[in-house]
Amino acid sequence: MTSRRVAVTGLGVVAPLGSSVNELWENLVAGRSGVARLPSAISQGLRSPIGAAVNFDGKNHFEPPRLRLLDRVSQLALVAAPQAHADSRVDFAAEQRERCGVFVGSSLGGAETTEEGYHTLYAQQSDRIKPYSVLNAMANAPAAWIGIDHGLYGPMLTYSTACSSSAVALGEAARRIQHGDVDVMLAGGTEAPLVVGVLRAWDAMRTLATEDAHDPSASCRPFAATRTGLVLGEGAAFVVLEDWDHALARGAIIHAELAGYGLTSDVAHITRPSIEGQAKAMQSALSAAHLEPQAIDYINAHGTATLQNDAVETAAIKLVLGERAHAIPVSSTKSMHGHLLGAAGALEFVITVMSLTRRMVPPTMHLDAPDPACDLDYVPGHAREAHLRAAMTNSFAFGGTNAVLILRTASESAFPVAD
Amino acid sequence: MNTTLDTLVDILARDYCVAREQVRPEATLETLGLDSLSVLELMFKIEDRYKVKITDDTPTDLLTVSDVVRYIDGLLAANSATHSRPLEASSDT
Repeated sequence: MTSRRVAVTGLGVVAPLGSSVNELWENLVAGRSGVARLPSAISQGLRSPIGAAVNFDGKNHFEPPRLRLLDRVSQLALVAAPQAHADSRVDFAAEQRERCGVFVGSSLGGAETTEEGYHTLYAQQSDRIKPYSVLNAMANAPAAWIGIDHGLYGPMLTYSTACSSSAVALGEAARRIQHGDVDVMLAGGTEAPLVVGVLRAWDAMRTLATEDAHDPSASCRPFAATRTGLVLGEGAAFVVLEDWDHALARGAIIHAELAGYGLTSDVAHITRPSIEGQAKAMQSALSAAHLEPQAIDYINAHGTATLQNDAVETAAIKLVLGERAHAIPVSSTKSMHGHLLGAAGALEFVITVMSLTRRMVPPTMHLDAPDPACDLDYVPGHAREAHLRAAMTNSFAFGGTNAVLILRTASESAFPVAD
Repeated sequence: MNTTLDTLVDILARDYCVAREQVRPEATLETLGLDSLSVLELMFKIEDRYKVKITDDTPTDLLTVSDVVRYIDGLLAANSATHSRPLEASSDT
């Protein structure tokens, strides 16, 4: 069977550092950080009261009757997904709608609604749970609303594999297109974890970064010897994925080709990452893209800034890419936008697409003290011009689901790289 | 002092984006755009507004605006009968 090619034709984000792809990009290449002190109402009692929040108020986007049906996780998704749709200029009304669908990744679902319900029950000692609580909190709510809003009668699925959720959603959507099940997919991730219960739970794991004493915005330091952990962020990122010929036929602007998707499981410790598991996912993505390691020009790393991840990911990259690992830029944009958990993979995919189209690699910020165990070129401190042919974006997760996506520039894709 | 109908119109206009002129006594809540869950939520708002307790045997046939008004007035009258002074409506809705 000849596999169909997958075009990326639309991008949308509502994220720390930007509520549009252009705003996000400008801030990333300028090395600005979206990490800051959180309001005391949600950060009380945290060892480190920081996070990467989105400047977003649902009241500015939805009328009250609609807003009360939407947890923040859905609100963010319902602003980001239409951006991607608008960018793609797909007219769903002119499509076979059962051949259009939506895949969403989210780790926590409607955390704010769940928290509010427990607050009502246990803190207020009230039985007045909101009638909409189930509909707001259910993990598939964002996908359902996107499907309803855009009239997508094809597959509508929600993936929850912790921090690789939305990379999985994109990869699985691409496979549906490759196999000919669908023509157009809205795919992405959304997460709204900045509520007391979630923050405190993460704090209890001792995986959150210590607040930088001088500059809270510099607290997330991937690959640095001084890294102390991740910083939680919120937001949503969506893309339109489309059969390549379908995109060409309607005269779409193709941002890039989603050329490869690798998916493996660590099957080891529930949190500790595995070099082998990560490496196999990267290798699998390369095979799917029919690319050799030397074809990869940039890696947008998972790079959480936890002690474990960054050293293991570095080792895995070296295992797969060999000498090539030292010759290419590898950056973690989480140093600026924080860790969006289930939305991270989609956000970093969008950033990787933009790295290809804008011919620029965003930096890893706050990397002043190199760690001998992390010895690649992490693009410290400053963005760098680079003409990329193909790039990889890594997403790894608690639970061990490793998802790797490979992108190729649309122009390079027109002239297939020899295997 | 506002009538119960005025107050209900305020709630429906503010929280459910219903046009004030649409809120006529004979209008059903369904035609005003409220589904069954919205009606449940409206009952919560009425409880808060009037400091009344709507019991589990709340009639489910509160179909029209005038039905709701009549129901609230009934609850208020019952409360007045059991209190030495009439309850004042809360302003923090």
